[in-house]
Amino acid sequence: MTSAPPGGRGEVGLFVTCLVDLMRPSVAFSSIRLLEAAGYTVVVPEAQTCCGQPGYNAGDTRSARTLARKVIREFERFDHVVVPSGSCAGMVRVHFPELFVDDPAWHARAGALAARTYELTQFLVDIAGMTQAPGGFSGSVAYHDSCAGLREMGVKRQPRLLIDSMPDVRRVELRECEECCGFGGLFSVKYPDISGAIVQRKCEHIHASGAYAVALGDLGCMMNIEGRLRRTGDGLTQVIHVAELLAGE
Amino acid sequence: MEIRSMHFVDRVRERLDDPELQRNLKRTRGRNAAARAASLGGLDDFDAVRARATEIRASVLRDLDLWLERFEREATARGATVLWAHDGDEACRLIIDIARRHDVRSVVKSKSMVSEEAGLNAALEAAGIRPVETDLGEYILQINDNEPPSHIIMPVIHKSREQVTELFARVHGTEPKTDIEALTREARERLRPAFLGADMGLSGGNFLVAETGSVAIVTNEGNGRLCTTMPRVHVALTGIEKVIPTLDDLATLLRILPRSATGQAISNYVSLLTGTKHDGDADGPAHMYFVLVDGGRADLVGSDFEPMLRCIRCGACMNHCPVYQTVGGHAYGWVYTGPMGSVLTPLFQGIGNARDLPQAATLCNQCGVVCPVSIPLPDLMRKLREKQVERGMRPWTERLAMRAWAWAAARPWAYSACARAAVRYLCWLAGGRASIPVMGLAPGWTSQRDFPAPAARTFRDMYARQRRGRAS
Amino acid sequence: MTSARDDILGRLRQRRPRDDAMRDATGEEIRRAIAHPERGPRPADAEDLVARFVERARAMTSSTDVCPDTGQVPARCAAWLRAMRLPLAVVVAPALADLDWRGAALSVRIGAAGRDDAVGVTPCFRAIAETGTLMLCSGPATPAVNSLLPQTHIAIVRSEHIVADMEAAWQAARAELTAWPRAVNFVSGPSRTADIEQTIVLGAHGPYRVHVLVVGT
Repeated sequence: MTSAPPGGRGEVGLFVTCLVDLMRPSVAFSSIRLLEAAGYTVVVPEAQTCCGQPGYNAGDTRSARTLARKVIREFERFDHVVVPSGSCAGMVRVHFPELFVDDPAWHARAGALAARTYELTQFLVDIAGMTQAPGGFSGSVAYHDSCAGLREMGVKRQPRLLIDSMPDVRRVELRECEECCGFGGLFSVKYPDISGAIVQRKCEHIHASGAYAVALGDLGCMMNIEGRLRRTGDGLTQVIHVAELLAGE
Repeated sequence: MEIRSMHFVDRVRERLDDPELQRNLKRTRGRNAAARAASLGGLDDFDAVRARATEIRASVLRDLDLWLERFEREATARGATVLWAHDGDEACRLIIDIARRHDVRSVVKSKSMVSEEAGLNAALEAAGIRPVETDLGEYILQINDNEPPSHIIMPVIHKSREQVTELFARVHGTEPKTDIEALTREARERLRPAFLGADMGLSGGNFLVAETGSVAIVTNEGNGRLCTTMPRVHVALTGIEKVIPTLDDLATLLRILPRSATGQAISNYVSLLTGTKHDGDADGPAHMYFVLVDGGRADLVGSDFEPMLRCIRCGACMNHCPVYQTVGGHAYGWVYTGPMGSVLTPLFQGIGNARDLPQAATLCNQCGVVCPVSIPLPDLMRKLREKQVERGMRPWTERLAMRAWAWAAARPWAYSACARAAVRYLCWLAGGRASIPVMGLAPGWTSQRDFPAPAARTFRDMYARQRRGRAS
Repeated sequence: MTSARDDILGRLRQRRPRDDAMRDATGEEIRRAIAHPERGPRPADAEDLVARFVERARAMTSSTDVCPDTGQVPARCAAWLRAMRLPLAVVVAPALADLDWRGAALSVRIGAAGRDDAVGVTPCFRAIAETGTLMLCSGPATPAVNSLLPQTHIAIVRSEHIVADMEAAWQAARAELTAWPRAVNFVSGPSRTADIEQTIVLGAHGPYRVHVLVVGT
């Protein structure tokens, strides 16, 4: 798959994201495995915390700026920054530069980091040239497009290409696969009724697809979909991060 | 129209609990989005047309004062009278004055969202003038006790044919008809005499063309044509932001407006109306007026929200909005619904009167992607959230939580300690189960779904331990 | 009245401050933009404009027919009306008064349509291939009501008047029309509505059917 020796293709900085850190460490370990399999040395800066997205989306620009500066300082030394989350990657890629429109020095630094920041599957396919996922998984899988990954980062083809490379996986498409799952960060707790109705539709499409597992690239959507499936009595359908799927067990 | 957006949360609950509305929403969900997608192929290069349409609208807004003056000059030179109104109330007064001057008793109306903003029908009735809505959807709403529209181009998308059947039988006193074609015929027969007998026709305006001083009106039913052809007086009521430079620009925008709205390559009727009837003309109004309304628009020029004025009222944003598709248009509580309404309502009616609207969005950006004039709707909603924070309009609990999070996230040691404590707390709540059904700290979350249990340790702890293990 | 105008324009000016020189320069740009309209991106032109027009007009649920020369127009109209079992009484726009309508056994009135006319006949200033659209300009010889009030509208389109797109149609209007018409109506098929349950019904307020006769092919 890759001819480079282990670690021979240089360093990538892994931005783990706070939700992965808190909820699902296996996503970060899977990401490391995938990046190493592609020939990169993975560095995980220890002081990293959050990209600032919750504050940014809540209208608290000041704190978003503080956290953005922190991320920029911690990650600007890497050739590539990889994030196993479309929305956190989108925060860095699209919104960091917007945060500093009135501050030329930081705007330039934000822009430089933004240009080198990738969502995980995007990096694996578009930069690392991976065509074969190293992991093993067996069963039918539906991929859910998370909004920021799809519309801010342009992630659509890449995860599908890697999933399709897995010999024992049959990929199925969800109806309305580009529609939001209803998570929306704080939206899901501020407007639970609306959020619940939207994720209910997503769950119905998942059931209709007959998939054994749903794979996706964002922890927020994952917790939302998994939480709703479990609440409505579905204890079977697996909800896994695309990194976990591709890296396999 | 009186604003009810402050009651958003209650209105949402009512609508989610309304099985008939939910059935009606489900029936049409996704259909317009699919029609739009199918129609874009006819453009060869949608992105190029969209970029041009965006630039046309943006270029006018950059010099709106001068374009308006040019429009006014051309319109006046061709026999129209251009009037200006600060707000809806003033627009109503101007229109009533026009009606009195020309001895108008009845008015036929084609669709005008600005007339909904202004509450024109109520004002006309109070002045003893009978307004008749002639767009089929708007007519249905008017005879249903002046119900407000729930969508800017499909005003009765929230109704079923059975509801229309019952309404027509009750109001018209006719035999109930269940066939949609028969219902449409019945409305046609009711409205034909109104068109032929009206003294004044009132239209909105999709575009004001500066080149010729004309109003362009886009309809499918033909009611816009009848309203502007048969009566003696025509009043075009619209916002000051609707100017476009030339007829060629109109051609560009007409490639993208009907496709974005209904998936049509072109609407059945596009009328470019310029001045009054000429000598020898058999038809057309003898008097033509423009009433151009500010209503909060001028204050947006040059602000962060200027891109919102590019809006051409196609409705694509709501047709693609997961929230709109779930709660319907009435929940939004004012004239404009869906994402464009969530931005316009607070801007036109006061940020404090519509606090929920910019918050009640997942920022999924389907709206921004489909907008034919590239309005960054999620960014504008986020900016409105910023304004709420600046003005201290958010609840103290939310402010405290955001501040605490930002404080901790800026300090890795504090963050690490909080994360560790949170994981421990969540694991305790889960008690060995895979998910947590009730969580006091986030009742909103667990009212709708379980909270998946976290792993036993944070990634940073596991990773540090692994690294120590490798090192030793 | 003037105060609202001056106030609105004044506030717009305040929000976009310009000095005199800038104001003049922008005024000049506006004059230029109108004198030399810029065209936006357009779909590729069809090789055969007539064929494209007919295809698109049918897609908008107009019916179409062709007729080699003008003299046969009344007979073709009569034949179509008979085939459709529609009334053989037409109200014809004065611009088409010279044709021999009575010779085709049609009951004819020349002038503007009224509430009781069943079939309106109009000429067409231009027709647009891109969308199958008729461009009708109002005037003493071409009343707008003839394409609006009757349940059936027959439009006579000269094949040399079929142009690629709306831009070309506007160009022709700017070049040929001495007085700018009160109404330019673009008509693409019969009137329709989809307001009730998004179900399309033809003949909402305007004609139920539009028949296009292309002359000179």
